[in-house]
Amino acid sequence: MNRRFVLALALATTSLVSLPAMAQKSGGTMVQITQPEPPNLAPYISTSAPIGQVTAKIFDGLLEYGFDLKPKPSLAESFEVSADGKTMTFKLRKDVKFHDGKPFTSEDVQFSIMEVLKKNHPRGLATFRDVTAVETPDAHTAILRLSTPAPYILKALSSYESPMLPKHVYSQGDIKTHANANTPVGSGPFKFGEWRRGEFVRLDKNPTYWRAGLPYLDRLVVRFIADASTRTAALEKGEAHVAGLGAVPYNDAKKLAARPNIEVSTKGTEMISPIVELLFNTKVAPFDNAKVRQAISYAVDRKFVVENVWFGFGKPAQGIISSNFQPSGLFAAGVDFNVADRIERANKLLDEAGFPRKADGTRFEFTHDITPYGEEWQRFGETVQQNLAQIGIKVTLRYEDVAKWLKRVYTDYDYTMTSNFLFNLADPVLGVHRAVHSDRIRAGTVFVNGSRWSSPETDALMDKAAIEPNEAVRSKLYAELVQKVSEASPIAYVHEVLFPVVINKQFKNVIDTPLGIYGNFATVHRE
Amino acid sequence: MKSGSLGSYIARRLLQTIPVILGVVIVNFLLLQLAPGDLATVLAGEAGGAPKEYIDQLRARFGQDKPIYVQLFHYMKNLLVLDLGFSFRQSAPVLDLLLKRLWPTLLLMGATLVISLGLGILMGLLAALWVRTWKDHVISVAAIIVYATPLFWVGLMLVLVFSIWLDWFPTSGMENVVAFHEGWNRVVDIAHHLVLPTLTLSLFYLALYARLMRASMLEQRGLDYVTTARAKGQSDRKITTRHVFRNALLPVVTMAGVQTGGLLGGSVVVESIFAWPGLGQLAFQSLFARDYNLLLGIFFMSAVLVVIVNLIVDIIYVFLDPRIRIG
Repeated sequence: MNRRFVLALALATTSLVSLPAMAQKSGGTMVQITQPEPPNLAPYISTSAPIGQVTAKIFDGLLEYGFDLKPKPSLAESFEVSADGKTMTFKLRKDVKFHDGKPFTSEDVQFSIMEVLKKNHPRGLATFRDVTAVETPDAHTAILRLSTPAPYILKALSSYESPMLPKHVYSQGDIKTHANANTPVGSGPFKFGEWRRGEFVRLDKNPTYWRAGLPYLDRLVVRFIADASTRTAALEKGEAHVAGLGAVPYNDAKKLAARPNIEVSTKGTEMISPIVELLFNTKVAPFDNAKVRQAISYAVDRKFVVENVWFGFGKPAQGIISSNFQPSGLFAAGVDFNVADRIERANKLLDEAGFPRKADGTRFEFTHDITPYGEEWQRFGETVQQNLAQIGIKVTLRYEDVAKWLKRVYTDYDYTMTSNFLFNLADPVLGVHRAVHSDRIRAGTVFVNGSRWSSPETDALMDKAAIEPNEAVRSKLYAELVQKVSEASPIAYVHEVLFPVVINKQFKNVIDTPLGIYGNFATVHRE
Repeated sequence: MKSGSLGSYIARRLLQTIPVILGVVIVNFLLLQLAPGDLATVLAGEAGGAPKEYIDQLRARFGQDKPIYVQLFHYMKNLLVLDLGFSFRQSAPVLDLLLKRLWPTLLLMGATLVISLGLGILMGLLAALWVRTWKDHVISVAAIIVYATPLFWVGLMLVLVFSIWLDWFPTSGMENVVAFHEGWNRVVDIAHHLVLPTLTLSLFYLALYARLMRASMLEQRGLDYVTTARAKGQSDRKITTRHVFRNALLPVVTMAGVQTGGLLGGSVVVESIFAWPGLGQLAFQSLFARDYNLLLGIFFMSAVLVVIVNLIVDIIYVFLDPRIRIG
């Protein structure tokens, strides 16, 4: 009964240590462009996209991940999960020091998870909800006690998602307005140097990093350039060397890829898995009718959107769960809306739903809200407008700023249909459940269930999948969930975005984790 | 003019500006309340989603759960001791953020003022002297073209030509972040980075001042005092430099004072294009993030800047035209 699943990570550890450290040239400064400038450097209270791009280099997590999303050792050398799934024991490295010279111990794990992430981190609140205690039998063992099994926690321990903070620094004073919010202290490969607001953050090599010989770079400078054309110019000229996650417009990424000194990679979104979708307000007519929602899902020309709006940086989505989950077996395709006779099917569904074409050829009209994230979203809205005109629906477009749009969609529910951008993250429990579970219908909370659709069946499937430790059983549950959701279509999933990362070819090994630019850059080196 | 009277004049003018600035602050505060959405939703949105508890926590922390008049009262009370509040989004006191961003903006504005006023006055003067010759036409047509060209386009073209094609200047930023020069090298490096943004921002104002100066010179030349001077037998050269030029400067200086506000606005565009770390960019970011404390601080700082510049302009008048008395 007490059989334990032991995941020995010793092998992986050896391979990391035996990296040919001497073969790479040390030294050099790499310049990364991050857009927009992060508001602060406190990844433990905010998951704002630009913050992690800087702080993932400063902090370490308990684990790292391979491109197959399997865990690799980091601050934790190994871990084991008890048979009932309610105990997770982490063995910690003994040679880790924070940037201020103090050692890393299990006390820091206890503090980071219980006092900081579980209470203040926007996603940690949910991730660590079932953690009742972190026990510290000795300085290098941390035991997570759970009230119910929560296997997804093991996917959420990267330096980006759950940074480990030094207790002796961050327990002083209020964590929400902490003095070190803009001068972080961690244990990662780079330590914080200077932040000149509006210009750059300078990170310097951590000479006492626990991975001997790393990092290779002497310095990493993260620059902030508000104008997209200037960002492209700086990369073109070699003044900056790395930019990703929307810092370079998709059309410019394509243009830059043609330059001899630049490489454009689409790896590094495996643990983020962003999906572009259309979200329906299922509580108002005509989208209270599943047939109308399906009709729209058929009508959208996914191939055209990927090729012409996102300049090829994506692929049509097949369900609410991203195909990035294929290696872990959690991916399944739902109803295929991307078929040749999609317009005929859409027309037929609308006829059946009781919206026949009127004398002028239209069936009904509504206002489509556009995600205010930039130009490609406007082009996407226009494409949807044209696609729906084909099936007799007249669409008016509305583009507002982020604050207004968020309030309209997630607080006031004052919309009919909106485009949306949702990240699947490292596990469906973290990134998918929030979009369709009934307990995530919460006015005022952003990026949760904004369609307000749910069903007892799908809720039950998700509740089971959340605590199921067996991956094969989980796969089955999710296959059923994807099918059920696609039949009800509260969301029309359009495509999976592959973020282009623009990299100057003199730097190697920049994208070596499924978190891409959220990686720690310890092994980046200059040719 | 006694220096004592100048001192008391400045003191009196500064006192008069207090109600003006307070008015600006109150109007801005109320206007910002009209914008839908708040900092808490933006923060949560940036986080890619957050539970309601988190958002409520944030609102309570920002004091947004209190009525507006209470918030305004608190803000005004703190302003009296120059406490501009805390930017929760940037996790830093507003005053610190502003002061750090002030000097790049002053540098850019100062350089622009010098270049645009200096060159503008010179070109206007030359055009007026060469009036109705081909040289005048070249200057006037060039001024109109520059005046009509959008700022951001000029900026992008300058980057394309002088940075990417010719490789003379860096594309953006205030200094080289790979080399991190020190001492004099740093000064040279910053000056090198300053060229393109200053040029971009100057061109428009240069054209404006050139046209104004030309018109003003021509107008003054036809006035009676010039005829009188000529009748006295003064040389053309002396009439132009001693009389016409000084009088013609007045409208240009006035315009330069009035345009300071516009210059701050223009610097938002230029700072964004060239990633110049000044107040303009900060204003732009904080508006979209609904960071009201920071935004109000920037408005306050801008109002103070405009008032000070206009005071300086009024003092310059006195030196240009002794007939104008302070008081």
